[in-house]
Amino acid sequence: MTLAHYLFLGSALFIVGIFGALTRRNVIGILMSVELMFNAANINLAAFNRFLAPAGVTGQAVALFIMTVAAAEVVVGLALVLMIYRARDTVYAEDINILRG
Amino acid sequence: MIERLAFYSMAALTLGSAILVVTMRNTVHCALLLGLSLLGVAGVFATLGADFLFASQLLIYVGGIAVLMIFAVMLLGRTADLHLRQVNEAWMAALLVVAITLAGLVRLVKLVAGVTAPSPAAPATRPLGLLMMGDFAVPFELVSLVLLAALLGAVFFSRKEETPPPPATRGPSS
Amino acid sequence: MIEHAFLIPLLPLAASFLILFGGPERKDSPLPYAGIAAIGLSLWISLRILFDAWSGALPLPYEADWSWFSFAAELRGRPFIFDMRAGVLIEGATAVMLAVVCLVSLLVQVYSLGYMHGDAKFKRYYAYLSFFTASMLGLVVSNNLLVTFACWELVGVSSYLLIGFWFEKTAPPYAAKKAFITTKLGDLGFFLALLTIFAYGGTFNIVRLRDAVAMGYLPELVLTLIGLGLLAGAMGKSAQWPLFIWLPDAMEGPTPVSALIHAATMVAAGIYLVARCYFIFAASQVAMDAVAWTGLITAFLAGTMALVPYDIKRVLAFSTVSQLGFMMCALGVGGYAAGLFHLTTHAFFKALLFLGAGSVIHAVHTNDMRQMGGLSKRMPVTFMTMTVGSLALAGIPPLAGFFSKDQILEKVFERSPFMFAVLALTACLTAFYTFRMVFLTFRGEERDTERFRHAEESGGVMTVPLVILAVLSVCSGWALEHAHAFARLVGSGPGLLPGAAGEAAHHIDPMVMATGVTGAAFLAIGLAYRLYCTPDLSAALAWKERLSLPFKVLEDRYGFDAFFLGLVDAADRLAGLCRWVDAEVVDRIFVDGWGLLCRIAAELSNLFDALFVDQAVDGCGYISRDVVGANLRWFSLRGRVQEYLLYLAVGVSLFSILR
Repeated sequence: MTLAHYLFLGSALFIVGIFGALTRRNVIGILMSVELMFNAANINLAAFNRFLAPAGVTGQAVALFIMTVAAAEVVVGLALVLMIYRARDTVYAEDINILRG
Repeated sequence: MIERLAFYSMAALTLGSAILVVTMRNTVHCALLLGLSLLGVAGVFATLGADFLFASQLLIYVGGIAVLMIFAVMLLGRTADLHLRQVNEAWMAALLVVAITLAGLVRLVKLVAGVTAPSPAAPATRPLGLLMMGDFAVPFELVSLVLLAALLGAVFFSRKEETPPPPATRGPSS
Repeated sequence: MIEHAFLIPLLPLAASFLILFGGPERKDSPLPYAGIAAIGLSLWISLRILFDAWSGALPLPYEADWSWFSFAAELRGRPFIFDMRAGVLIEGATAVMLAVVCLVSLLVQVYSLGYMHGDAKFKRYYAYLSFFTASMLGLVVSNNLLVTFACWELVGVSSYLLIGFWFEKTAPPYAAKKAFITTKLGDLGFFLALLTIFAYGGTFNIVRLRDAVAMGYLPELVLTLIGLGLLAGAMGKSAQWPLFIWLPDAMEGPTPVSALIHAATMVAAGIYLVARCYFIFAASQVAMDAVAWTGLITAFLAGTMALVPYDIKRVLAFSTVSQLGFMMCALGVGGYAAGLFHLTTHAFFKALLFLGAGSVIHAVHTNDMRQMGGLSKRMPVTFMTMTVGSLALAGIPPLAGFFSKDQILEKVFERSPFMFAVLALTACLTAFYTFRMVFLTFRGEERDTERFRHAEESGGVMTVPLVILAVLSVCSGWALEHAHAFARLVGSGPGLLPGAAGEAAHHIDPMVMATGVTGAAFLAIGLAYRLYCTPDLSAALAWKERLSLPFKVLEDRYGFDAFFLGLVDAADRLAGLCRWVDAEVVDRIFVDGWGLLCRIAAELSNLFDALFVDQAVDGCGYISRDVVGANLRWFSLRGRVQEYLLYLAVGVSLFSILR
């Protein structure tokens, strides 16, 4: 297996995540897509560590940090969604238009 | 051969589940499929020989985040949602953008075609622990702070507004 | 005893502060006696020093000094610490001067007990007197010219305070101001001389300065300048021409003050300064000549001016100026010892005359001699003592004035017969005006019966000092002249330039000269007797009628007062003109014009600002808000986050495919 395989897998997963984030109406769906993008990045990091710098584990360490931050992001994100749902009684992104100019 | 088989199967699992996650109408299914996709990513980590990452992925993502998502979906979900479109009207534009981006990324990936692993994978748990307690000690602590802040933020955001207690009735003025 | 010399000025100083702050002002305040005690102690020390020096037991000069302050300085790149020391330097002249000042001061203070009795500011008067004495003694003993200058100014302050002592009257404050400002004019020269001394000599110490001059470290031009500066200071303080105008007016002060300050001591400070710094003058012929001619002119002009006034104190004041001129002239021609000798004897008999005049004024309550006359019958002691003083002043042998004046004339003749002629004439004038005063006051008929009847002899505290001074006036000349004791004591001054006085150009037999001058003085006295010792003043008035023009000139004091007043007036006008130029020309053109220019520039700037800068700013705002913003608004119109994300993704995709 070569590095390109893994990178291609990461790219594909990332693209899927982007597509989801752009198209899902449900805010929870958007959050899930974001998680997919995180995982794509993690795959890339682990692959780079494996193929380009096998002596160290720095890539994996950064991936761990990303996991941690992602966990935090999910927690806060879901809490926000909960708040929005309570306040506006909706979970659809197009209804949450408080940025309307 | 077995390595190749493992990679392709895990990649297929991951990508397939991911595509379903972003296209399915039922949000509960989406959440379950997300768990599956994350499981696939864990498998990919395993093919890369990143043992600790594999375990972390299982624990944090599959065991934590995916379950949290399912809970959220169940908290916020309505039966009416099942009859509504879950994809907005811009999906074709999004598809176009995504295709272009994928093309660009593939072009980038081709730059590193043919790079193979220089050595067999080694266990990473011990070096990771040393790294975390050594060079990365400060980021490690900062991340713990971030987690604490996130925890507090989540509690703060999701708690119910408490109505202030009624003012105490005034006693007889003696 | 000599090691206590520094106490001589400090005792009266302490006394003055004690008197001033020691207690309330009362008519019977005991504090003045503290001043008298202090000056008595100083006199005792001074006399001990004088007698020690006289007998040769005490080698002079004696110097002792203490560190005053020090400062870091740098000269030609080399840093050093300059240690300013202050202390006492006792030479022969100093010892004599100390004794004279202390003695006269003591007698005047005792006398003032009677004269100032009952005055509302009795205590303050004594504080001032003690303060003056302290300053004067400090001036005399100091070995540091800077301290000397400080004391010099303090003496001026005391003089100012004492002249203006009766400040509730009109004339004294005016006279005090006149005296102060006029002497300041001279002090300016003194100050510049001090600066020059320090710049070239690097020290204020008199002994070291003398060494520096002796070694020839100071060029002659500098020495001349220093000498002229010191002379200017002496001119102011010793009332020399042309700065003598303040002394006659200074007679507005209490008469004992006139005796002490404006006859015996302070006005001698200038002479003393010249004597103290004689080595500087001796090194510069120009400075010496300036001293001599200043003294000569002063002596003659003041002698003539003393002929006409009817105010008894004015006569004495002009006489003082004239005698100071004698001393100055003596110093200028190289008569160091002669000048100081005359200074000493003059201090005695002039103090005597002033105190006697004070006694008369105390009795008749007027200064005008035309309202006196015949007072010898009522005030015998005053009459006798004043006659002695007058004889001494007129230079009649064997009284003090004869010896000292004789020495001066001798020295002056050696230098120049012309100067001698002028001074001899002045000596005759002296005899004339002195006895004019005596005859007008004490002889003849009483012209003001009312005053005459109330006049009576003063009390013991006033007559005893008179008697003591009279005895001194009789004896001091003979005693000091005896075997050249005085000259031996003070020395002949530092070495003079060859040709200045070392070799006398002219010689005259001292006996011939003394006889001639004395004879002329007797003639002058006879003339005075003829004119003024008459029941009425008709003869004198007739002379005055006949010589109205000279009299007028003399009464106007040769117009010097008018001249200085004109000077002040001219300065005033000049200042007015400068002010007008400043206000009308400089302010109008430069200040106002500059303001106008600035304002025009500001207006232009404002216009530019409003027309271009503000428009540019407004234009930027207009473009970004109404042109760009209005068109970009469409993008965010619906407020959908996913649309923004789509724009972002488009951007990302473009970046990903672009190289």
